[in-house]
Amino acid sequence: MKIAVVGKGGSGKTTTSAVLARTFARHGHSTLALDCDSNPNLGISLGIGAEATERLVSVRDAVDAGEEEHAAGGDDLVERFGVDAPDGVRLAVVTAIQNPEPGCP
Amino acid sequence: MRVAFVGKGGVGKSSLAGTFARILGSSGERVVALDSDPMPGMAYSLGVAQRDAGLPDEAVEEYDESGQRRFRLRDGLSGTAAIEQYAARGPDDVYFLQLGKAHGPRWDNSRQHFGFQRVLDDLPGAGWHVVGDLPGGTRQPFLTWGRYAQTFLVVVEPTPASMLTGRRLAKLAQGAAGPRVVLVVNKARHPEDGARAEERTGLPLLGTVPEDPAVGEADRMGRAVLDHDPGGATAVAVRSLVDALRTGTEPA
Repeated sequence: MKIAVVGKGGSGKTTTSAVLARTFARHGHSTLALDCDSNPNLGISLGIGAEATERLVSVRDAVDAGEEEHAAGGDDLVERFGVDAPDGVRLAVVTAIQNPEPGCP
Repeated sequence: MRVAFVGKGGVGKSSLAGTFARILGSSGERVVALDSDPMPGMAYSLGVAQRDAGLPDEAVEEYDESGQRRFRLRDGLSGTAAIEQYAARGPDDVYFLQLGKAHGPRWDNSRQHFGFQRVLDDLPGAGWHVVGDLPGGTRQPFLTWGRYAQTFLVVVEPTPASMLTGRRLAKLAQGAAGPRVVLVVNKARHPEDGARAEERTGLPLLGTVPEDPAVGEADRMGRAVLDHDPGGATAVAVRSLVDALRTGTEPA
C-alpha cells in the first residue's frame, strides 16, 4: 500500500502521516515513511526528536559537499540515508532545500 | 516599510500579515498587501471579499528572448500602475494583489507567475508600505518571492517543528546576502516562550503574539480577526509589532 498525504499548511499532514506510519508498523507491516516536504519535519512527529530530525536533513549537505555519494536508487537511499523511528518505521527524507538559489520558486 | 512574513505552514503568517497590513493602512498611509502563497489566507485576514485577486491575462505579455518564452508587464504598465489598476481594495484602504490560484491541473500559470514577479521588481517606492505573505516552509523566500523585503518576520509558534523551520530560514537568510531577519513568536502560552524561541532559532525577537481563541473563531467564520475582535489580544500585539518596526526599536 502506498499512501500520500496532502493538504494546506498547518492542517496536520505531518501528524497524520506519522500516526498512519506508526499504526501500520504496530500492526506488523514493514513501513517506510518518506518526507517529501521541502521543509521536512516528519521525524519530529514520528518521535525521533528535533535534533535527530535536523541531523538527518544535513546529510544532504554532506552529499552537496562531495563527502557522500548520491544514492544509486531508492533502496540505497533508504538504507544509507534513512533512520529507524519508533515501532520499526524506517524514515527517509527525500527533498530538502539547504541552499537558496534564485529562479525556482 | 517593506516586510515579508515567512515560517512553517499553519503558524499564522497570513493572519498576522493581513492584520499588520490593515493596521498600517488604518493610519492613512498607502499599503499594498502581496500574497504569494498559492493557498488563500491573506484575503480572509484582510477581510477582502475577493478571494482571487491575481493579474488578468491582458496585464502580461509574452515575448521571445533568443528562442525562450518570456513574460513581462504589458507595454507601458508599471508595477505601481498594475497595483492601482488590478489590486483588490479592502478595509482600511489596503491594496491586495495575489499571485493567483491554480484553476485546474492543466491550467498554465506561467503568465501570472512571471507577471507577479515583474510587479515585485517594480514596486511603488516612497509613500507606500509593502506587506508580503510568503508560502509556508523554506522554499527560497529570500531570493524569490520575498526579494523586495527589507525586513523578514520569521513567525514561529512554541513547537519544535516550527522552531526548526525558523532555524532553517535563519540559515537560508545568511546565504542570501543577509537581509534583516527578526523573530515573531505566535500563539505564545508561557512568558518564557519568546526567549526560548530566540535561543532555539538564533534570531532576535521582535515581539510575541499570545495564543488567542478569537483567531480560531474568526478562521472558522471566514472573517478577519481584526473585524471579529478589533480590540483583542492579537490586534494589540500586532500593533506593537508595527510600532516596533516604525520606531526602530526592533532588535539590531
